[in-house]
Amino acid sequence: MAKVEIKHLTKIFGKRPKAALKMVKQHKSKDEIVEKTGSTVGVYDINMSIDEGEIFVIMGLSGSGKSTLIRLLNRLIEPTQGQLFIDGEEITKFNKKQMLEIRRQKMSMVFQNFGLFPHRTLLENTEYGLEIQGVNKEERRKRAEHALDNAKLLSYKDQYPSQLSGGMQQRVGLARALTNDPDILLMDEAFSALDPLVRGEMQDELLELQANVQKTIIFITHDLNEALHIGDHIAIMKDGELQQIGTGEEILTHPANEYVKSFIGGVDRSKVLTAESIMIPALTTNIDVDGPTVALRKMADEEVSGLVAVNRKREMLGYLSSDEAAKARRNQTPLSQAVVQMPTVDLDTLVADIMPIIYDAQTPVAVVDANKHARGVIIRGSVLEALADTEGDETDA
Amino acid sequence: MPNLPKVPLESWISDGVNWLTTHLSGLFNLMQRSGQSIMDGLTNGLTAIPTPLMIAGLTVIAILTTPKKYGFPLFTLIGLALIANQNLWSDLMSTVTLVIMASVISLVIGIPLGIITAKSPKTAAIVKPILDFMQTMPGFVYLIPAVAFFGIGVVPGVFASIIFALPPMVRMTDLGIRQVPVALVEAADSFGSTTWQKLIKLELPNARNTILAGVNQTIMLALSMVVTASMIGAPGLGRGVLSAVQRADVGSGFVNGLGLVILAIIIDRFTQKLNTKPGQKVATRPWRRWAILATALIMIGGGVVNAVTSQKSSGQKVNLGYVSWDSEVASTNVLAESLRQHGYDVTMTPLDNAVLWQSLANGQVDASVSAWLPYTHKALYDRYKNDISLLGPNLHGAKTGFVVPDYMKVNSIADLTNEANKTVTGIEPGAGEMITAQKTLDSYSNLKGWNLLSASSGAMATALDKAYKTKQDIVVTGWSPHWMFSKYKLKYLQDPKGTMGKNESINTITRKDLKKDNPKFEKVMDKFNWTKEDMESVMLDIQNGAKPKQAATKWLKSHQKLADSWYK
Repeated sequence: MAKVEIKHLTKIFGKRPKAALKMVKQHKSKDEIVEKTGSTVGVYDINMSIDEGEIFVIMGLSGSGKSTLIRLLNRLIEPTQGQLFIDGEEITKFNKKQMLEIRRQKMSMVFQNFGLFPHRTLLENTEYGLEIQGVNKEERRKRAEHALDNAKLLSYKDQYPSQLSGGMQQRVGLARALTNDPDILLMDEAFSALDPLVRGEMQDELLELQANVQKTIIFITHDLNEALHIGDHIAIMKDGELQQIGTGEEILTHPANEYVKSFIGGVDRSKVLTAESIMIPALTTNIDVDGPTVALRKMADEEVSGLVAVNRKREMLGYLSSDEAAKARRNQTPLSQAVVQMPTVDLDTLVADIMPIIYDAQTPVAVVDANKHARGVIIRGSVLEALADTEGDETDA
Repeated sequence: MPNLPKVPLESWISDGVNWLTTHLSGLFNLMQRSGQSIMDGLTNGLTAIPTPLMIAGLTVIAILTTPKKYGFPLFTLIGLALIANQNLWSDLMSTVTLVIMASVISLVIGIPLGIITAKSPKTAAIVKPILDFMQTMPGFVYLIPAVAFFGIGVVPGVFASIIFALPPMVRMTDLGIRQVPVALVEAADSFGSTTWQKLIKLELPNARNTILAGVNQTIMLALSMVVTASMIGAPGLGRGVLSAVQRADVGSGFVNGLGLVILAIIIDRFTQKLNTKPGQKVATRPWRRWAILATALIMIGGGVVNAVTSQKSSGQKVNLGYVSWDSEVASTNVLAESLRQHGYDVTMTPLDNAVLWQSLANGQVDASVSAWLPYTHKALYDRYKNDISLLGPNLHGAKTGFVVPDYMKVNSIADLTNEANKTVTGIEPGAGEMITAQKTLDSYSNLKGWNLLSASSGAMATALDKAYKTKQDIVVTGWSPHWMFSKYKLKYLQDPKGTMGKNESINTITRKDLKKDNPKFEKVMDKFNWTKEDMESVMLDIQNGAKPKQAATKWLKSHQKLADSWYK
């Protein structure tokens, strides 16, 4: 039996939901409906079932209704129509008191902007869920401290949220949600407010946590990479309606419609994409200035094994690999001797034309502009991705 | 708009207030009595604390709450010492009582109301226009129903202050709760908080600073109503300001005003100290709190000791009402001093004239020696004659009329043409003489187009002084006995139609059943009399800078025989 079951769930905001519903059934556009009725369609006719212990990702651009959907699940927003079952109980029929119980026992939520209470310390924040259930002080302290300990924040327990970084705050938000020991964790763009590095860390932490505690996690994001990274199943939404549900693989290889296709970038890129659009920023070292030690350090910092060598005028000279740089450091030779040639392409070279070059090259391919300045580099991975897409298309055809 | 009858708004409102007064009189009396006793208790408690102890205590608290800064404690010390030095301490305590009471009641009503309006848009839609109405209506207007409901004294003052000071409390509470970020409210909801838990654990703590800003504003507004409320007998610093305005006494007005400023600044700084930023550890060490508590306890202890050991004056309580005209200030002070020498515990209540008659009629003031009859206060006498006792004249040969400097050529009201910009400079709009003056303007055909300017008796005297020095024309509503006749060369204009009254007398009036309740005191009031010259000598002393009390004592010393005759 599915943990969460959603049937025909619909939410219309505004004063004339009935008229708006009629128009939705006639497949009128959102704008037209607002124009005519003054009501907005939040989500329309959502059907899905979520299994116990999976990470279910709901994706979509802003305005697609994904945040509304997650709030319908714990009824922070009241649905206009439809049913919602959790463990087989229809909670859309629950009264206020039963709903409080569900929120206290079964579901916890993590928010995009953390939603921490500024006037409470981390410990007081973490134990909030238990506090309002009337759990005695010692018990809730113990559990909150345990959750903070898991989030590696126990030593900060008497600090206030404003004294922490975003990543730490979100870990508190997560610890607060987990202290209740809920079955279901609702995460509303939980990592979107963090910087990319911390974001990656948090995603890994979440996966690790999931391996340990086996909760049902409903995760909202607008970032395809994040969805592919953590999701067991992915649902894609547009304008309040569901486009497709499937595993990451299914969605990438069999997009259900044009929208999903464009959303995952599933067009034949090699015929349209240029070098400029698939290149990654070039990490450069100015060998007129930098020595081997500096270059090696840069590589270590950026976690790459080579840099594009440039001169004072920022003109591209060639490729400097970590091996060559290390050699130069041992032999006390200048970097200019360690630089090897690297193939170059123009900004508007098509991906299809780059492929043969990249297969032969020992180094990444540099993308240069008319002034011989390195604008970026293309590595094998980015081309493989383009290649995978085209192959997917061929199997479709 | 022609052909449309005037909507009888005024009579509707009067009828409404009358209906309330008659039907809810029991409730109002209960509120008045309990309010009065609470406030008296509070004021007595505050004044029982010896002044030096209180100043020291407040300074210590200021030091404890502002560590490492000396500006505020020093200001507290010097400011309070200055107030005490100017003999305004008991006034200050009365003012503090009024402010505390008005603020506390405003908080008790305002915070819950603000919470309700924040939670319910319907209530907000009803309450907000009412708040706008309350806040923009001039404070004076509230005094009228306040007197009708609660009579005179401190209770109506508090009532008026509350109406005036309540709106910001409601508004700021409402704002503070609405300002709590939606994300936090959602978070609290997602954990299954009940409405009550959400309010206590999230909304109020987050709205705290906004609410405290509202508290601060409420206190300041209550303080600003103190002066207005003193017109209906609220004791305190406001009374000093008001009587200074009526007597155009710059110095005393300024000193009383300065007292209010010092008090306002001290209260403001103390309330601001309660504000803290959320998510900051408040750096008050426990010993500081204990020290503050200890200081407060020492102050209260001193008050208790003082209250127990000091001799309460066990005399009979009597309440003399008067209007702050120079003549009445003189007579009431002389009478009050004399009564005190005979062991009475006298309260003097300065009031607006109409309010004075009303308070006598409903028995809130025992007696007054300031009824000008039969002409000047005729309208008031006719209205209240069934509810008061008239004991007869205490001074003969009083006179009212239009007065001009003797360098002006005109000798009769009938000869006035366009002198003095066709303006008669008058006194308080509620005074009896102003009613007769208006009648005079209406009944002399040559006065068509003349204006009667209302101000205050003090402002009138100042205007006369200014015109006299520059030899300009001026027509004032004058009366004798008055010191201005000894200070300037003035003359009354003849009044062929007699509309300004002929010679009159100043009379003693008391509440209806004073004879029954306190025959001895009633007899004294009945016997009280003196002459025009007596009064003018006292008035001139006061005008030349003596305090009313000193001038009264001086006169009593030199007229022992006359004063003793009142008690036989």
